[in-house]
Amino acid sequence: MLLKNPTHNLSNNGNHKNNVRNDGDESMKSWFQNKRAQGDTKQENWIQTLAKSEDLKQTFYNNQKTNIRFSLTFLTTLVDEKIIEQSILTSLLDNDFHSIDDLKRIVPIGDIQTCNDPSKIEENLCNGYVLVTIETEEQYFGFIAAKKEIGRGITSPEVEISVIGPKEAFVESIATNLNLIRRRLPVKELIIEEFTIGSLSKTKIAFLHMEGITNQENVNTVRQRLKDVEFDAVTDSSYIVQIISDNSNSPFPQLLDTERPDRVAAVLAEGMIAICVDGSPQVLLTPTTLVDFFSSFEDYYLNWIIASFFRLLRVSAVTFSIMVTPLYVAVLTYHYEIIPHDLLSTLITSRRIVPLPPVLEAIILELTIELLREAGARLPTKVGQTIGIVGGIVIGTASVEAGLTSNVLLILVALAALASFTTPIYKMSNTIRLLRFPFLFFAYLWGLVGIVFCLCILLTHLIRLTSLGRPFLEPFYPTRWTDLQDSLIRFPFKERAMRPQYLRTEKPYRYSKKKASIKKDIDE
Amino acid sequence: MHEQTIPDRLKISPYLIFYAIMSMQIGLGAMDFQRLIAKYAGYDAWISILFVGACLHIILWMMYKIVETVNGDIVTAHMYVAGNYLGKVLSFPFILYFLVHSLATLRTFIEIIQVWIFPDLSIFWFTLGFMLLCMYIVFGGLRTVVGISFFGLVLPAYLLLTFGFNLPYSNFGSILPILDHSVKDLLKSSFHMSLSFIGIEIVLFLYPFIKEPQKSKKWAHLAILTTTLLYAVFAIMTFAYFSEGQLQKAIWPTLMMWKILKLSFVERFEFIGIANWNLIILPNVCFSIWIGSRLVKKIFNIKQKKGVYLFIITHMAIITFIHTRKEISLLNSMMAKIGFAFIMLYIPLLFIAVQIAKKVKRK
Repeated sequence: MLLKNPTHNLSNNGNHKNNVRNDGDESMKSWFQNKRAQGDTKQENWIQTLAKSEDLKQTFYNNQKTNIRFSLTFLTTLVDEKIIEQSILTSLLDNDFHSIDDLKRIVPIGDIQTCNDPSKIEENLCNGYVLVTIETEEQYFGFIAAKKEIGRGITSPEVEISVIGPKEAFVESIATNLNLIRRRLPVKELIIEEFTIGSLSKTKIAFLHMEGITNQENVNTVRQRLKDVEFDAVTDSSYIVQIISDNSNSPFPQLLDTERPDRVAAVLAEGMIAICVDGSPQVLLTPTTLVDFFSSFEDYYLNWIIASFFRLLRVSAVTFSIMVTPLYVAVLTYHYEIIPHDLLSTLITSRRIVPLPPVLEAIILELTIELLREAGARLPTKVGQTIGIVGGIVIGTASVEAGLTSNVLLILVALAALASFTTPIYKMSNTIRLLRFPFLFFAYLWGLVGIVFCLCILLTHLIRLTSLGRPFLEPFYPTRWTDLQDSLIRFPFKERAMRPQYLRTEKPYRYSKKKASIKKDIDE
Repeated sequence: MHEQTIPDRLKISPYLIFYAIMSMQIGLGAMDFQRLIAKYAGYDAWISILFVGACLHIILWMMYKIVETVNGDIVTAHMYVAGNYLGKVLSFPFILYFLVHSLATLRTFIEIIQVWIFPDLSIFWFTLGFMLLCMYIVFGGLRTVVGISFFGLVLPAYLLLTFGFNLPYSNFGSILPILDHSVKDLLKSSFHMSLSFIGIEIVLFLYPFIKEPQKSKKWAHLAILTTTLLYAVFAIMTFAYFSEGQLQKAIWPTLMMWKILKLSFVERFEFIGIANWNLIILPNVCFSIWIGSRLVKKIFNIKQKKGVYLFIITHMAIITFIHTRKEISLLNSMMAKIGFAFIMLYIPLLFIAVQIAKKVKRK
């Protein structure tokens, strides 16, 4: 069908480049006209659309031994011309080439497909395949993979930095990412399922779980939700997070995104599910709990005592970060009786010349810090750092000297900002920065009662939140002792024979508890 | 029984009944029960607490017997005894009971805020805010309500430690001599203790929602035991701290006890205590609304959501009319009497009725 029309004039020696291009364009046009005449409209549509792009090329050649006429069609922007020149063309021109089925024998490339379904052509062309057709077999097509791989190399993590432990981070290419994970779990139980999502972007999505460990119900839910995604262009994993979350109206992230392959491998072994999205250096993990967002993966590389100390430090830092400005506002607006004499005089001295009410003072300073952070994030790195430091110092000192804010509040806000950055997962630290504003509002409204009131709202929200239908506040509520051992305090590995209970794994034990718990007597 | 079955995912683990009962019991009663009971039995009143606690164990046993026999909640029990129509009529007063319960709790809390922190607090707006929060919780289902009761008990638990600051100023000799009051006085003070113990009746309503209800029994008994001991120890601490005459003048002895606490960065700890009390009374109100709206659903066959709206509107309508200390006090003593009648008199009666009905039906 493709080469039916004899009217086009082609040069037979197609390996001459300049010739080939013009020749190809000519032939394409006539070919398409011919197609239109045949009236196969569905197929025609994509050909017409595709032909508008300058990067679609079709060239015709004659095999030197059998003198059979064949054509190569491909998108120049997607394929690697080196592969075409060196592997495909040389072998197709020089070897005995009679039919499409010969391709697998003569072309030294692993990924070769043959089919007689014209609807496959578009999909494969857009995925970097070269279409091979010959005049004798009109309805039979061969596809040879010749995809150009462009991407950056593996670098060290930029968001989830660790001092100890592996320094590899995911990159944009899904193949590389899967390789990084598969290398860490070289067993047959690791299952990789692939999907394509996005009517325009055709994003490849891989979804990973461990057979025999991961809860099947969870796997089915994730698979179903991924299949149900209907969106045009999915360019990053964050899209998937927002689309498949249990509650998309929550400021809390319910899927954990990480750029560390070691973290992914470790939690896959615990029974979580990982989702890789092509083009995104962040891999998603689900189901998660609130605690996961406060554990840096470095915790597992440190001794349990030190790791637990850091975790407690982080959690108290977060609490401090959310609560401190609202408490300041509540106490200075309504309850100055709470503060003892000596401390009160310090506060009053620093606030003596400030004309604004505490709430305005706090909101202005908080917004300033937010501005600095946002500006620092948007500006190029070098400028950003300068702005951050200069802006912080200049604005801070100047506003205190001008009498717009008090020293004490400046210190508190700066500490709170610092504390909010201790959260290891970036998305969670954003949430925490946002949370203080409703607290500020309620503190201004009802003082301390307001703060507790807002805390109740937050608690309710967290209790109602689920990740993949599993309670988000686990292991606190519902209380599960074995999971509590890896929450605020990380117990030593020998105590952690159980996989997390909330994952409802099919194999609850990671290793035999009995062997681990043999206790030795003195001098044995 | 045409009992609608409750899917497993909506049920709660048996141990959670511990938090549910305890948080329902510890509410506003904990602010002033010391004064009320000492009025009659003096400093022997702690014996009354233990006595009431012991009685409650028997009542709890009866409640479990009732719901186990009918395999449902109190409405099922009523229908079991008195037939469909009359059973619903019998269950109706309990809607009012829980309405009054949450009203009394909320209004008393607002009173404490008004007296100690904000004299000008708008009852209307605070109630509205509180009700919206309750609505958010109750719409999350029983699991959310129980979750709030869990945190409402665990998070403010640190407040217990703050009473340690009172110990250096206490004289434990003052509760001696033991048993210098008559049995009648002790019983009177037991009666006044009942407001602080109201809450165990929720077993009658939550039972169908408990996973493996058999296992929840021990937790329920443990909850009563813990509350009893907690109240008793706390009462003794109060008696040791105040003199008998002084205690009668303190309207909220618990708040007065905080006044002694002084840290380098905090004075007047009762402000923090009152703020925390918000979290303690929240489960009380939420359970009342949840149970009340559930009853509305079962009795009138309308959606539970509508029952919640009904509750909230009624609250908003009534609460602004209760102004004076006298009215609030009346509301609370009324609540105590109804609660006493319900728990100590009605439940044994229902227990006997169910047992008789069971025998009759078997024949």
